[in-house]
Amino acid sequence: MNSVYNYLPLWATLFPVLATVPLFFVERRSAKIRDVFAQAVTGITLLLVALMYPYVRDHGVIGVSYPGILPPFGISFRADILGFMLALIAAAVWFLATVYSKVYIGHEGGGNRYYPFLLLSLGGCLGVFLTGDFFSLFVFFELMSLASYVLVVHEESDAAIAAGYKYLILTLIGGLALFFGIVIAFEVAGNVDIAPGNLLFAEPNRLSFIAFLAFLVGFGMKMGIFPMHVWLPDAHPVAPSPASALLSGVMLKTGAYGMIRVVYNVYGPELIAAAGWDTILLVLAGITIFLGSAVAIAQTDIKRRLAYSSIGQMGYVLLGIALLTENGLTGTTFHIFSHAMMKSTLFLAAGAIIFKTGTRKIKEMAGIGFKMPVTLGCFTLAALAMIGIPPLNGFISKLILSMGALDAGKPAFVFLLILSSLMNGIYYLPIIISAFFGVKKEERKWSRAFSELKPSMWIPIAVLAASCLVFGLLPINLPLKWAQIAAKALLGAGN
Amino acid sequence: MIAKLISNMHFLTAMVLFLIGFHTMLTHSNLIKKVMGMNIMETGIFLFFISVGYVRGGSSPIAVPGAEGYINPLPSALILTGIVVSVSLTAFALALIVKLYNYYGTVDADKIMQLRGGEE
Amino acid sequence: MNHLPVLLVALYLAAALGLPLLGRNKKFPAGLFAVGVAGCGLILAAASAWHVAGTGTYSYFPGGHQAPLGIEITIDWVTVFLHLTINLLAVLVLIYSTADLSRELGGGRAKTWYYSLFFLLLAALNGIVMAFDLFNIFVFTEIGTIAACALVAIRPKRLCVEAAFKYLVLSALGSGMVLLGIGLLYMVTGYLNIGAMAQALPKAFAMYPWNVLVALSLFVIGLGTKAALFPLHVWLPDAHSSAPTPSSAALSGLVIKVYAVAMARIIFQAYGAELFSRIPVPDVILVFSTAGIFAGSVLAIGQTDIKRMLAYSSVAQIGYIFLGFALVTMNGIVGGILHIFCHAVMKSLLFLAAGAIIFKTGIRKIEDLAGMGYRMPLTMAAFSIGALSMVGIPGFSGFISKYYLAFGALAADKPVYVAVILLSSLLNAVYFFPIVVRAFFGHKEKQMTWDRLPWAMTVPMVVLAALTVILGILPGGLVRIAELAAGAWLN
Repeated sequence: MNSVYNYLPLWATLFPVLATVPLFFVERRSAKIRDVFAQAVTGITLLLVALMYPYVRDHGVIGVSYPGILPPFGISFRADILGFMLALIAAAVWFLATVYSKVYIGHEGGGNRYYPFLLLSLGGCLGVFLTGDFFSLFVFFELMSLASYVLVVHEESDAAIAAGYKYLILTLIGGLALFFGIVIAFEVAGNVDIAPGNLLFAEPNRLSFIAFLAFLVGFGMKMGIFPMHVWLPDAHPVAPSPASALLSGVMLKTGAYGMIRVVYNVYGPELIAAAGWDTILLVLAGITIFLGSAVAIAQTDIKRRLAYSSIGQMGYVLLGIALLTENGLTGTTFHIFSHAMMKSTLFLAAGAIIFKTGTRKIKEMAGIGFKMPVTLGCFTLAALAMIGIPPLNGFISKLILSMGALDAGKPAFVFLLILSSLMNGIYYLPIIISAFFGVKKEERKWSRAFSELKPSMWIPIAVLAASCLVFGLLPINLPLKWAQIAAKALLGAGN
Repeated sequence: MIAKLISNMHFLTAMVLFLIGFHTMLTHSNLIKKVMGMNIMETGIFLFFISVGYVRGGSSPIAVPGAEGYINPLPSALILTGIVVSVSLTAFALALIVKLYNYYGTVDADKIMQLRGGEE
Repeated sequence: MNHLPVLLVALYLAAALGLPLLGRNKKFPAGLFAVGVAGCGLILAAASAWHVAGTGTYSYFPGGHQAPLGIEITIDWVTVFLHLTINLLAVLVLIYSTADLSRELGGGRAKTWYYSLFFLLLAALNGIVMAFDLFNIFVFTEIGTIAACALVAIRPKRLCVEAAFKYLVLSALGSGMVLLGIGLLYMVTGYLNIGAMAQALPKAFAMYPWNVLVALSLFVIGLGTKAALFPLHVWLPDAHSSAPTPSSAALSGLVIKVYAVAMARIIFQAYGAELFSRIPVPDVILVFSTAGIFAGSVLAIGQTDIKRMLAYSSVAQIGYIFLGFALVTMNGIVGGILHIFCHAVMKSLLFLAAGAIIFKTGIRKIEDLAGMGYRMPLTMAAFSIGALSMVGIPGFSGFISKYYLAFGALAADKPVYVAVILLSSLLNAVYFFPIVVRAFFGHKEKQMTWDRLPWAMTVPMVVLAALTVILGILPGGLVRIAELAAGAWLN
């Protein structure tokens, strides 16, 4: 375990955190160097994460642990295929969002505060995916949550401060609940390591149920699962758009990742099924899917609509976790990936529209498709993927999820998935239709493509949108393969 | 019962003194009376301590040839220290009362509370 | 080397006596002298800790008279831990005071008197934690009480004198009860030495259970009053908030803890954990500390004055320490001991930061602190670190003690207290976070100015903030000392 590559998860996590120190000195000199520096840091972080791949593929698990830091738990870093995959997505989206931020934040101001906290929350987020025990996970979870608070309130409007306060308090409640669960697990099992076959609870009793609820509140709060979603539709829209993309696209997934670990590594699917707790998750998932999609329809603010849509999508993810079948888990993991791509595209595109036109109201966006063809093209692609139109990636994750539901003998959820796809259609299509057809024919004049935005803004959007297409279409679909391996490993862990 | 009480008279008295002092300290709003209460309470404790070490018929603990049955010298020694502590507490409390009287023109705790009002 | 801890007390007593004499010279640099003496004290404490680490804990008999006749002084890990805490804080607070005192006390010789009293207090605190003899504990307690009251009353404001008087009266009540308790125990055991008493007590308890129990309750109430255990805390908010800032930091950070340690020492080492938990006293203390944790936090939420808010928060925090002790489990006591240090560091940090704000701007009202993050960024950053630590965010020292307390509660099979600890963290967040948030966000004035404070004020804040973070990440050594200390108490 002493080879250099074992330190990769450690460095990938710590590098962006440590980079905030030089950034602090650099940013006071020049805004230009600051932007480049931040981009370089996220780029190198992405590279560090990507470098892990050959080792994770060959060895299964890499990592190091430091029991001396924060005894009695210690801090440990560990990457397996699931952690690696999510870390890679996070680092990639972060890199693109940082590139996008250059113009957006440059216009909005406050970059000297924005960038350090952007990097801090990247470190926290990667830390969540790349740690080897629940306690380290919790530490980085809190780091990410607190650092992203600064991103949420960046605009400092009254609405942002109010939403930020809600976010802060609820995040704190979630963190404390999580800590409660971890302490109980540690007391019962003597360790909180995430390792295959290391189930922390052996039987469903009162204590393990309390811990389960604590974990559910802790991670569910971050995921935005009903009824803990109340902060999400306030906090995500008020953040600057690149931060919204990260909050919705990536940071929500830390909660999902935690839930996967809880169900498959802490309790094990057998115990969850035997105790019947999967029903709790399924019911919550069902409500969340329906509620997120239904409320999204009623929103007039485009970012709020996207935020509610995220709630619905996290319902899918929880559904896949709760099905306890291999297909369900594969679908969940792949949907985490797909949703990161789709929602980041949508938020960045929405940000571009707001940046260009200054409006957030959907009905004021009529005809925008002709003024910003590339942005709206990407938006359309991602929205179609959201709805689940083949062959986009959203279709694949929904297909596998449906197969998982059938495997679990719960066809009702297939129906729910189709219903929610329909509702997705109801709230996404009108945006697209009015953007392209909402004005009279004579006003439909195409502006020259690519003149709409600076390349540093449209390229990230385009890359993300393209990935929605590529990872739905390509015959060699690496993320799907990883999701399958991860699902097999997780289910194997319980046996 | 009564005989037992009488033979333990000093303990009883000490407790009564303690309670009187305690009560005075807590209930009287006059600051001087509070200090008096403090002294009564402490006197009660001193009496208690001394009686713990007292041996009936014992002589003072000075090594004189022929004497037998000393009283226990330790409590007396301790209470000397206790008296010093009590005196310094009293002196300090009285000094504070003088200052308070200069500031507020009264030695009544309730009136001081009123004068203080919303001041922070 | 064995003499070091005693020299520590002697040094402070000598300094306390010498200062007024030296101060007759108008040009005498009292502040510098005070920092120097406290620095020597810290070195002595560190050397003593080093010595104990090398050769183990020991008992010291002044004049060579053996216990139980002679006076016994114990140099165990609790003593070492507290000595380090007290003297470290003392140095930092005294450095800060050199810049702050002229504003708080006005000119003249008040400063010299102030330092003299401060050293008297330090001598008492250092003495209490190493005395292994009930009467010595009492004497040092009294010295500490008078010095602490005087440190509040020294400020020429009528509010301070009134707060000091209230503090004095309640403390005197407490000391009366403690002395009575000592008398009751002496009556049935014939000893004042804690070690000898521990051996005699089980037998005495069998013969005179009421004496022993009444004495125990007198200790709990008496020392509880001095340590501001809820509901005996009524004197604390006035005294701690109106005192000069360095006094506030020392009173909230050190003094109340030392009384808690004295109580724990009597309970664990004279009564013994076994006898202590055979009667329901721990449960009573648990209930009161829980009530204190919630009441302190809720009252803190309602405050408008920042120093008052911090004072109420101390009422809540002392509750954690008692909670940890009363759980009577290894991890609980470790958590309590750790919290003594962690709270000392973070509460002093918060008081010093609040004092710096008052020093610079005169603002005491919490609502006026909006935008302070731009006017005094360094101070507010330090305040934020203290606040995050109070809330118990991982990576800050306050978190460490809280999770040990949580483990202690689970080990005692009382998971409800884990919930208490977590809920109270939330309450802490409710009153600390708005201050931090409003200092940095939502303010129109965006011009960042660098706070021009005297270095004597910034250095202690930076050191305390650094300690909070470093010990939050690498608490290994601290935890080990606390575990050794708790181990001695539980046996």
